[in-house]
Amino acid sequence: MSQPRETSTPSYTLNCRMAHEAAALERLCQVVRIRGFRISRMNMESTGEHLDIALTLEGSRPIAMLQSQLEKLHTVASVDLETGARVQSCSA
Amino acid sequence: MNGAQHILEAFHRHNISTVFGYPGGCIMPLYDALVDDVGVEHVLCRHEQACALAADGYARASGKLGVCIATSGPGATNLITGVANAHRDSIPMLVITGQVPSGLIGTDAFQETDVLGMALGIVKHSYLVDDADELPAILEEAMELAESGRPGPVWIDIPKDILLTEVTRAAIPAKQAPAAAHADITEALTMLRSAKKPLLYSGGGVSLAHAETAFREFAEASCMPGVVTLKGIGNAGKHNPNDLGMLGMHGSRAANKAVDECDLLFVVGARLDDRATGKLDGFAPNARMIHIDADAAEINKLRPADTALRGDLNAILVSFTRALKENPLSIADWQDQCRTWCTTGGFHTADNEEALAPITGPAFIRQMSRITPDDTVIACDVGQHQMWVAQHYQFDHPRHHLTSGGLGTMGFGMPAAIGAQFADRNSTVINVTGDGSFMMNAQELATIRRYNLPVKLIVLDNQCLGMVRQQQELFYNNRESQINLDDNPDFVAMARAFDIPALHIERTDQIRRGIETLLAYDGPMLLHVAISREENVWPIVKPGGSNKDMIDEPRRNNANKEQVA
Repeated sequence: MSQPRETSTPSYTLNCRMAHEAAALERLCQVVRIRGFRISRMNMESTGEHLDIALTLEGSRPIAMLQSQLEKLHTVASVDLETGARVQSCSA
Repeated sequence: MNGAQHILEAFHRHNISTVFGYPGGCIMPLYDALVDDVGVEHVLCRHEQACALAADGYARASGKLGVCIATSGPGATNLITGVANAHRDSIPMLVITGQVPSGLIGTDAFQETDVLGMALGIVKHSYLVDDADELPAILEEAMELAESGRPGPVWIDIPKDILLTEVTRAAIPAKQAPAAAHADITEALTMLRSAKKPLLYSGGGVSLAHAETAFREFAEASCMPGVVTLKGIGNAGKHNPNDLGMLGMHGSRAANKAVDECDLLFVVGARLDDRATGKLDGFAPNARMIHIDADAAEINKLRPADTALRGDLNAILVSFTRALKENPLSIADWQDQCRTWCTTGGFHTADNEEALAPITGPAFIRQMSRITPDDTVIACDVGQHQMWVAQHYQFDHPRHHLTSGGLGTMGFGMPAAIGAQFADRNSTVINVTGDGSFMMNAQELATIRRYNLPVKLIVLDNQCLGMVRQQQELFYNNRESQINLDDNPDFVAMARAFDIPALHIERTDQIRRGIETLLAYDGPMLLHVAISREENVWPIVKPGGSNKDMIDEPRRNNANKEQVA
């Protein structure tokens, strides 16, 4: 039996603000998944008309690609990337 | 005015005169309102998928918003392929579905599906209306969204009770999308001027931005050799001497050679799709890239741009044209080289002129291109015939070529042709299809008959799924699997059963007469064309391979490589 392979997957934190509409979170998570990222932590607060969502994501694709796709969503007001991407070790 | 009546009122306000739909339980209030409305023509297709694809074809041919309507549950799920098709090709579309009454949502009611959740990945945006007074604003916003920026389908799911509720709030015009900031072309222009071998690479974004005229003036002012994507066919017009045609998997050797040799790619309204670029590592290896697009998310998505301009293609191209008219590029040697490649490595296969010879797809399409008027709209399906049209038909305008580029939807052609014919009742509209694709939406023969649309149907019948067979032959050791269609129905008899006259041809000397008969007939007609089962689309790049490694027809292989090398 082969040993698990050690790989390094970059980790990022994105802070999103979006309109509080039906399926808002689903819409966000669907884009994250299809663009090749995995959500490892999520925190959401409802502030009146908005949702503030902090996403910790793992993925090997460029995070800028995901950011630009999220910014295209009509209900997304802003997407901010916390600077300083971390690299996490995980078993593949 | 209830919710349903308000929808029709919004259609009037936005000059929407044609919609495609199919009634059912939860959308009945809208159909009831339609009875009293003479300003909106409702086209009853025979399947909801065809409603969406017809709305798509209408939008592509006219440049206007396409509208489709269906009921909840199966009505909505049947729309999915057509909406996904519009999404992948950025077609402006408004989708309206009825939903079970608000109080029944989430109870597994009859004909209930979670439309909002189901459609998330195939729409530009979507709404579930939970308050009748929100409907006016949602309708305005949805129509604005569908057509602005990079267009796409917007879906409004409306519970039946909302359709019946009085709307007390008036419509407020949606906020217009902010105009793109004026793009500074200075850096890109400097880069363009420093290039010795610049190549213009354009896609479907040109016509989506209604920038056909600006693009053509730019192409002429720059004199750059140009290649096009499948959706960009027609951008340069049929008489531009610098047009090398389509690049990519089934592109010409000349187009792929030019991409391989160029030192600058000037990309306009294209997304560097894998069918166009082949393996990205080997794509335009010596070139810097200027990327112009309406969608910021396309910039640097697959290949980093050396400089990028995002915004209105019209304004950007006009700026370049002005600069290039004042100070033209000096690229005569590169132009000559590309024209030589085009002569020797274009889509020129020798036709078998023998009268009794079997018909080949390319020979048929070339004759059709010579005979049909310049403004003919060709709606293709998906498969070998689609590529033969792309390779051998000379299009003068991108809106004349309706093809399912991103999703590759078999069954697209006939409904799209119906939509295109409604967009312009006087135009010549031809659906070129294969025997596999024809059967995917054959029920729409009834729609053509019902409205007496003069759509011409050409079925290139090789009694198999030709594109799959071809790839099985070339890349799967000729192990044919589930491609045989030699038990097809009699297509001529089938058309006649719908009261549509039909002809059959099978020899080369019958091509011209067959096409001329089709064109001369005042009404719908089907031409059934028997073609060889063994014919392949050439050249071809192995899926996932590099465009440099394209494979030519075996008997032409050596000669072509020598000429273009």
